[in-house]
Amino acid sequence: MGTFADIVTIAKWEIRRTLTQMSKDTLPLAIVLFAALVLVMGFTAQSGMHLQDGMYTIGVDDPTLAQVLASDTRFTVYELDDATLWNNRQAFDLVIYRGTALPATTERGRAAQKTVQRDYGQYTASVYNRQEDLFAAYPLWIDIQTVKSELDFTATQSGQYISARPGAAAPEPEGDLLDVPTPSPTLAVTSEELRTSLAETESSNSQLSRYTEMLSSSDTGTTFKTPSQLSPPLPFDSIILIFIFIFPLYFSSQFFMMSIMNERIERKGELLLSTPVSAPAIIVGKMLPYLILMLAISAGLTVYIGAPVSIILPLIPVILFFLANALIIGMVSRSFKELSFISIFFSTIATSYLFFPSIFANVHVISLISPLTLIVLTLQGTAYTATDYLFSTALFWLTAGVLFYVGIRNFSEERLFSEHGLLTRIREFVGSSLSEKHTFASLFLLNGFAIPFVFMAQMMCLVVFFNLPMPFSLILLILFGAEIEEMAKAVGIYTLYARDPSFFSWRNLLLASGATALGFLAGEKLLLFATLAEITESVFGSILFLSLGMLWLPLFLHFTAVCVVATCLKLGGRKWLVPGLVLATVIHCLYNLYFILGWLT
Amino acid sequence: MKAKNIAIIVKKELRGLMNERTILLAILLQLFVALFSSFLMVGLTSMYDPSSLSKYSRFRYSVAYVGNDSALNDYLSNSRDFTVFSMELSPAVTALQERKLAAVVYVPDTAPDAQDPVKITLYTLENDLQSAIVNVKLKDIFLSYEKDLRTLRKARITEQPVPLAFNPTRGGGDFFEFVYGLLIPLLLFMPAIIASALVIDLITEEYQHETLETLIASPVTFSEMVWGKVIACEILIPIQAGAWIFLLVINRIAILNIPQIFVLVTISSLVPILIGALTALHYRERTAAQFIFSTALVVVLLLILAIPANPLNMVTRLAVGSAGTGQWLVLAGVAVAAVVFSVLLQLYAGKVGREHHAG
Repeated sequence: MGTFADIVTIAKWEIRRTLTQMSKDTLPLAIVLFAALVLVMGFTAQSGMHLQDGMYTIGVDDPTLAQVLASDTRFTVYELDDATLWNNRQAFDLVIYRGTALPATTERGRAAQKTVQRDYGQYTASVYNRQEDLFAAYPLWIDIQTVKSELDFTATQSGQYISARPGAAAPEPEGDLLDVPTPSPTLAVTSEELRTSLAETESSNSQLSRYTEMLSSSDTGTTFKTPSQLSPPLPFDSIILIFIFIFPLYFSSQFFMMSIMNERIERKGELLLSTPVSAPAIIVGKMLPYLILMLAISAGLTVYIGAPVSIILPLIPVILFFLANALIIGMVSRSFKELSFISIFFSTIATSYLFFPSIFANVHVISLISPLTLIVLTLQGTAYTATDYLFSTALFWLTAGVLFYVGIRNFSEERLFSEHGLLTRIREFVGSSLSEKHTFASLFLLNGFAIPFVFMAQMMCLVVFFNLPMPFSLILLILFGAEIEEMAKAVGIYTLYARDPSFFSWRNLLLASGATALGFLAGEKLLLFATLAEITESVFGSILFLSLGMLWLPLFLHFTAVCVVATCLKLGGRKWLVPGLVLATVIHCLYNLYFILGWLT
Repeated sequence: MKAKNIAIIVKKELRGLMNERTILLAILLQLFVALFSSFLMVGLTSMYDPSSLSKYSRFRYSVAYVGNDSALNDYLSNSRDFTVFSMELSPAVTALQERKLAAVVYVPDTAPDAQDPVKITLYTLENDLQSAIVNVKLKDIFLSYEKDLRTLRKARITEQPVPLAFNPTRGGGDFFEFVYGLLIPLLLFMPAIIASALVIDLITEEYQHETLETLIASPVTFSEMVWGKVIACEILIPIQAGAWIFLLVINRIAILNIPQIFVLVTISSLVPILIGALTALHYRERTAAQFIFSTALVVVLLLILAIPANPLNMVTRLAVGSAGTGQWLVLAGVAVAAVVFSVLLQLYAGKVGREHHAG
């Protein structure tokens, strides 16, 4: 009970201090700014974004088309008669002359043609949508039925992207025949419903989708589509909604970061540390108001947009992850400048990790590595399963937990008020979790707990590389995957070396490498079995998390690689850390290549 | 105001930035943004226009054609993207599930000129990258078939759109709008946002670390100190913008009118820096200042983007070479804004400085 009371006291204190510290006009001004934000958003929605205005200059001889194209601000349109247009065609990026579009032979001309083509497509659609006889204008409708393949990723494990190999004869199914009913030849909906969905598609072709080079087809009410609606839907609306969710969370975690930083300025936090309240209670107490604020904002937004309450569940680990990072950033930065840069850096990376996979929500399983995909799916009306939840949030729960632990361990006078540089401070932070007495045991644990971070970094690489053409994505993934692992394993060894170079007798060196390798392997396998089955079964997964099943081989690999780094450090000193890492990465890559591509066999 | 004193502050702040290696983080950050932009570009394009990656265009996908024979079958058979097999529905869908086929198309026996539409059922794999690609390729074929059907039913259509024919282009032009209409203005104005956040940190730090007294005791006046910090941040703008232009150019992205872009970006970036400095002088405390500033920044940015011929748009137009004489008006407008805010800052800093010297 005592701890609980402490937490509440600290939380109250934190709220009071934040409110008094902010000068009196901050809150009213913030409210005014938010009101202005809403107004400006309305204005922007009305007038549109004018970022690409006047990129192309085009000449048109047809008044109807000139009018259609002039409504697109990207064009500066000149309506001229045939002869003048033909004589001056060099002056334009594209001319529309007697019913044909003639682009200039420049990059800009080709881009102009693409844009005209898209605008023309929209124009024809709007004409056809007005037709009395809808099925004369849209004679072809497609009903998409998706089939779940049980093989999913295993077929691609051999390194082949595509498994459906063309043969001379029709393929014979091996398993039991499915009983597929013959589809009905008629549409189950009225033509008025179809007309509504067509109109929706037309209007949803907003300026945002310009950047994506397609006529977007967000979820239309019916499952029937015309051929031009066939592109995979890009969940733009949902993604913008997510932005509205995440943005306030960034702001709130900034306040927490600043509150931690403020304790450290001019040793203001000394008072707090001298009280009998324990470090965990201080941290939880200080964090509580922000946590509640963030949850309240999320809940409020959910109710406001009328979304299912289940979208808050994936947000909780994200909120904790932000707060944990805010804690660490607030604890390590020496000055406001550093705080700003690190937090901007962190939020860019976190945003990328969270957002970009969710763009592929309707296309690929890979999107599930971001918890936000669960929100996109829920907003689209697809419920997520418990496995999905575990899969996309596990890394966030684990990393947040580890970071909180590190923060609590280091929440002491010595660490908080130290004036060392950033890297030294991070090393000190790691160092305080390495016990002097049980060095090897703590090395084992350190590497075990480094695994969620390693996975996160590797997932990030996966997101970046999976779209590149096949050989490049594999090679880059092998390289970066290996390098990230080697760097993570070197952290513990380097910290020990920096603390006391004489610790590394040959015997201790071998023992430390062994502990590191074991810890790394144990963490890797545990986390893999628990969560990542979906990714590990793909060809990409097999590179990152090779060798499930055989345990002694990867152990030997980890051991050798760490030994190389440690030996470099012992013989060459700190300068040799980087060459040691490079060497270890090379060894790791060769090992992976041997197993994936069957080299050397 | 003495230029010498301002120069001392500028040097001190720049040295501080170098020592803390925060600049390194800023550079890393920008590289990261560039990396992700390219990822987005390649990723989305390959997703929605797979032929842009040559790897896919060489591949022939197996599809099953089920049901009534139609012109669609001919289109599929003649396509270089597909190998077509005539099959029964149940074995075809089973084979699809076993990944022996890429898609199954079922066509009913609706007459092409019937009153009702032709409803095709397309079976694809759920949540699969390959089926996304196959869908895009099938889309072209369906579009051709739709055109045929529409021609057959022409008599029933009361209003035809104005015809417009396009010649096929030799590729290219895919990334043009993304690069020039989004990436370039974004990259060139990002230093402004970083620099204005930085100026707030530099000013509030003097207050919160209580180093202000020392400074006031020195021969440097308060206004000189503020201007020194503003200039230190402003110096970073042309350096970062220049680095970006250089990187883009060596990536063979042709940028026209580089000198004008340079001047426009440097002058317009001064405005948010000055606003940041004013906010910091008012609040003297980082949390409040950054909070108010960043909210205000979002409001102002949105507002600016909603106005035609804004500086960001002008960068785009200059880069593609379609700026015209409007660019000088925009430049003049931005310069006036910079002067107005400079005067405001000078007045405000003078007032705050007198308070400090008095108290």
